[in-house]
Amino acid sequence: MLRSFYRCLLRLHPSGFRKRFADEMLSIFDHSAGKPAAVRLLMDGVVSLARQWTLRPEFWREVAAAQPAACDSVPSFCTLDPFRPRTGAVIQGLLLSAVLFFLTCFAIRYSWIHVLHVRIPEAPRESQLPIRPASSDSASTGVAGPAVAVRSEGNAPLSPSVALRPSHNTPVQPTPPAVATQDRTVQSPSAHSSTAGSPQSQATFGARPAMEGSGAGHPERRLASKSDRTNHPQSNPLPDQSGNAQVEVQQAKPQDATGASAVIPVTPRDVKPHAATLDAAERQVVVNGAIANLTKYYVNPDLGSQMADALRAHEKNGDDDAATDGEAFAVLLTQQMRDLSHDRYLMMVYSAVPNPENPPAPSPEEVALYRKEMERTNCSIEKAEILPHNIGYLKFNRFPDASICGTRVAAAMASLNHADAIIFDLRDNPGGYANMVALIATYLFDRPTHLNDFYNRGENSTEQSWTLPPVPGNRLADKPVFVLTSNSTFSAAEGFSYDLKMLKRATLVGETTSGRGHMGMGHRIDDHFTIRVPGVKVINPISNTNWEGTGVEPDVKVRSAEALKTAQKLAEKKLQQN
Amino acid sequence: MNDDTDNFLPLSPATLHILLSLAAEDLHGYGIMQEVARQSEGKYKLGPGTLYDNLQKLIQHKLVQELGRRPGDDDPRRRYYRLTSLGRGVLAAETDRLGDVVREARLRLQIAKPRRA
Repeated sequence: MLRSFYRCLLRLHPSGFRKRFADEMLSIFDHSAGKPAAVRLLMDGVVSLARQWTLRPEFWREVAAAQPAACDSVPSFCTLDPFRPRTGAVIQGLLLSAVLFFLTCFAIRYSWIHVLHVRIPEAPRESQLPIRPASSDSASTGVAGPAVAVRSEGNAPLSPSVALRPSHNTPVQPTPPAVATQDRTVQSPSAHSSTAGSPQSQATFGARPAMEGSGAGHPERRLASKSDRTNHPQSNPLPDQSGNAQVEVQQAKPQDATGASAVIPVTPRDVKPHAATLDAAERQVVVNGAIANLTKYYVNPDLGSQMADALRAHEKNGDDDAATDGEAFAVLLTQQMRDLSHDRYLMMVYSAVPNPENPPAPSPEEVALYRKEMERTNCSIEKAEILPHNIGYLKFNRFPDASICGTRVAAAMASLNHADAIIFDLRDNPGGYANMVALIATYLFDRPTHLNDFYNRGENSTEQSWTLPPVPGNRLADKPVFVLTSNSTFSAAEGFSYDLKMLKRATLVGETTSGRGHMGMGHRIDDHFTIRVPGVKVINPISNTNWEGTGVEPDVKVRSAEALKTAQKLAEKKLQQN
Repeated sequence: MNDDTDNFLPLSPATLHILLSLAAEDLHGYGIMQEVARQSEGKYKLGPGTLYDNLQKLIQHKLVQELGRRPGDDDPRRRYYRLTSLGRGVLAAETDRLGDVVREARLRLQIAKPRRA
């Protein structure tokens, strides 16, 4: 053992010394008697090693060349070229390597700022194509991890498959009661399979901070799409809004021990409908559930408590007794809550068919359907073209999941890369995923930029949304940007407009947007009642507030129909000035 | 004394002992170590690292010559070393120098004694 160690020490000596003397030193070691002597020799070997390497550079090479045949019993590597770098060169090399190493580590850390807390989704199969999770999908296009930057929390749904996993809080965009009533009538297997059940809607709502408007809060849209989907005025052929309310509901799961939970199911036809009449006990359960959820989740805690008190007072006064019909009771409770809050997203929803407590996860077919739909619709990108005066124009009618559409959107942005100015047309954009907001915004900045925060009242947590590291070769970071808005611009599309406005990166042209800065969640109360509570709000780091209720004011107010022309003129003017 | 030898003076204890041990006969490294221990009556123990480091320098300066292996030796790995004439001259010069030092030291000590008394 000691001998082996001593041999190793000898082997570590400079080759010149080693070749000439290692045999003899080993011979001496072999002649040493006893362990103490061997240990002394070991110590001597260590000192010798240090001495030869530090104080005898003149012997490293010279002696080695003189006695090349001396390394018989001591294994060593012999090189053909006796070249040996100068000590100074070796030290410089070490320093340089260390500097490069630290620089690389720093660069990696820098690029990981947005990735560290991200769970890469298990992306579902896209037709025959191989799976491309968010990061790789974007990497192939030179855009790093589109889905990643946006969601800094581990359970962030980045793709439909992830989004649809049962989560404690299932965000939804609440809809007015009248519309909700419509929703229930759509609960049919066909609707489920064709639209409501499509991963798009589910994923969108499943993504917590994903600001999906989808027109869900827009009665006209919803009704139009419901009555005739093929003639939907919106060019976006994605699952229509009528399905959203149902879909959002599917993915929730039981919430907590208070009885408040988060499931509103799509119900097959063969499920026995609920008797419409209500007794006092059930009303009591529903009111208690509503109070618990309001107190726990509503974004404004004070208002939540006030509404809870109001509900309790109404119940005590006997105001609820008249409502023996489930649907009427839901409308009544909704009205009671809104009387105080004027929050049109707050809503009690009644479903005649029971809401499952554990909704099934989306099937691979549904996920594939969504991907196919995205392929067919080119990820809702309606136009990506160069207008006169080399002004880029991108009209897209949704912010789809970046983990699925990152490539296509990146391609669209690449096609506009040489434009001198760029116009984003969000006039028909109902929102979508925050990760796509961050991905597109990435092209407009030359460094990772903080877009906004998502505050979740129920979890008392705040998540940040940042743009990604700059896209290599991108030329749009310093080009003038115009965003077209309308009163149909919803949710994530409003977020995109608002963020760019706050950052003074874009000129907004058009109408004030719809004003949706909160995201709601469906919480199951019992088999037939679900309450939708806005529980997540966007907080812009610059304004420290959001556009909830007020909408995003454009910089240049014109009718939405004239917004493009106006923006073009403004862009031309700006380009001429430059 | 001449310039050639003066350049090497004074010798370090290890070098002095090595040259001294080779003055009588050719020795291999282990033999040198044993001889050094004998000369100093065990007070100075030369490790192989120090020994070969010094031998390396002595060979380079041509104070010692490497003879190579001897076929009949107990251990074929051993190589023998011999003192060159230059080495012998350096040893002689160092011996003279040390003699002067010793003489001077004794003189000083004798002068110093009465004072202390």
